[in-house]
Amino acid sequence: MFRGFYTAGSGMIAQQRRTEMLANNMANANTPGFKAEQSTIRSFPEMYLSSIGKTDIPVKNPLHLKGLKPVGPVSTGVYMQETLPLFVQGQLRETGLTTDMSLVDGALPANPETGRAGTVLFRLENENGQELYTRNGNLTLDAQGYLTNPDGYYVLDTGGQRIQLPNDDFRVTQDGGIMVGGAQAARLGIAYAAQPETLMKQGNGLYQADGNLPDAPNAGYSLQQGYVEGSNVDAGMTMTDMLSAYRAFEANQKILQAYDRSMEKAVTEVGRVNG
Amino acid sequence: MNGLQQQIDVIGNNLANSATNGYKANQSSFQEMLYQQFDNDKADSAERMSPGGIRYGNGAKIGTTLMNWKQGSLQVTGRELDFALTEPKQYFNVLMPGENGEMTAYTRQGNFYVSPAEGGRLMLVNGDGYPVADSAGNGIVFREGVKNYSVRPGGVLEASYEDGTVMAVQLGVTTLERPNLMNRLSDTVFALPGNLADLGVTAGDVLTEMNGANRQQIGLSSQQLEASNVNYEKEMTDLINVQRSYQFNARTITLADQMLGLVNSIR
Repeated sequence: MFRGFYTAGSGMIAQQRRTEMLANNMANANTPGFKAEQSTIRSFPEMYLSSIGKTDIPVKNPLHLKGLKPVGPVSTGVYMQETLPLFVQGQLRETGLTTDMSLVDGALPANPETGRAGTVLFRLENENGQELYTRNGNLTLDAQGYLTNPDGYYVLDTGGQRIQLPNDDFRVTQDGGIMVGGAQAARLGIAYAAQPETLMKQGNGLYQADGNLPDAPNAGYSLQQGYVEGSNVDAGMTMTDMLSAYRAFEANQKILQAYDRSMEKAVTEVGRVNG
Repeated sequence: MNGLQQQIDVIGNNLANSATNGYKANQSSFQEMLYQQFDNDKADSAERMSPGGIRYGNGAKIGTTLMNWKQGSLQVTGRELDFALTEPKQYFNVLMPGENGEMTAYTRQGNFYVSPAEGGRLMLVNGDGYPVADSAGNGIVFREGVKNYSVRPGGVLEASYEDGTVMAVQLGVTTLERPNLMNRLSDTVFALPGNLADLGVTAGDVLTEMNGANRQQIGLSSQQLEASNVNYEKEMTDLINVQRSYQFNARTITLADQMLGLVNSIR
């Protein structure tokens, strides 16, 4: 009956999802290594409307022509199609802790298809031996002296091995070498994602890839010890986006109300016997 | 918002202890929460850049709270029984009553006192009244009539008596290799965690008793105290930052509430 009724409804749902995403960005405005999400909103695939009917040709012996009469294409709503993390470098924040390190993007080759550069990530290993990736350089040493992230996932070196250190009195060189007392104990494994948008967010700042990612080129990154990379969320812009999503939500709600009033009229006034 | 509240708590504790001798600042760091996968577009075959569906985050939480073990500045007090360790990660040993009798606790707070013990002798105690241990793990007891106390290299405390004799004690000093693993008894006192065996480590991995040749590495000076290593400016900027984030998140809740209000007022 009223197709627009559902269109307005889908608009509300899409704006609500967008608000949820922006709220998550806002909550993570202080999370190290967090990459802000962006959404793409897409209209439903278009439908081609045509009316089924018959045309009577008023001649002596009435002729009935059956067939489809085209009305035109119509779209019946919108939905949030994608959430894409924005892999722009966040600001470095000094913490002074030796186990905090931040990855700084260097000269990374741009993807010829999209024209966007890839990203570099720390290599982690979870308890099942699966490789995960993160930008959160807030690391720590576990009881056995392994370098881990706050969830206890092991940080891997260039050879894919866990890194065991005697204590947290070590130095990290720009190229990721971990120096203990003047000798290199290990070298941090840094992975390179040519198409970072294909990575799946796993929660806790972790990304999962289809298979294992290759090593990053040496010129592609540098490391800063005693700093963490801050979140790249722009609080002001997030708030503005949230307000505009809110207003779009409100506009859809008003249209829904207008449809409701039309229906009310149809029910109560059309066909009323006693005017 | 709960995470931010916790961070305010940590900052508040740091600021409150900015005048506590031997205090080491804590730093908390955030982490993302779980992500949910929504497969909302199974039927759509449009071109896209990311793997199918959309992923929602659920907010942020506190990831770790780590201790900053950097050396604090030294304050000259002029009191003979005030000691400061000038090397980071070195701690005085203090004997405290524990679950299984006496246990050793570790502190960098070096304001020691003498308290009367049996037989008219004097015992070296810390500010909380617990005995300070020597390198063998026993309490330190002096005879009556001490004229003055002085410090010799290698963590040795010398007490000169009025009759001219000198008594030398090696103060118990331990290096904590992994201060973050330690169990925090109070703001400045640490002890070994009770679940060491579960963690699969021995006490030797976590700390080194400074004995024998290691004693030369002890940096001990008297008539000084180590000030807290809390950095006022950093804590205050963090506090402002956290408060603003709190406001932003509160505003988000208001918006979400108004959206629900709109849904309610459709009819």
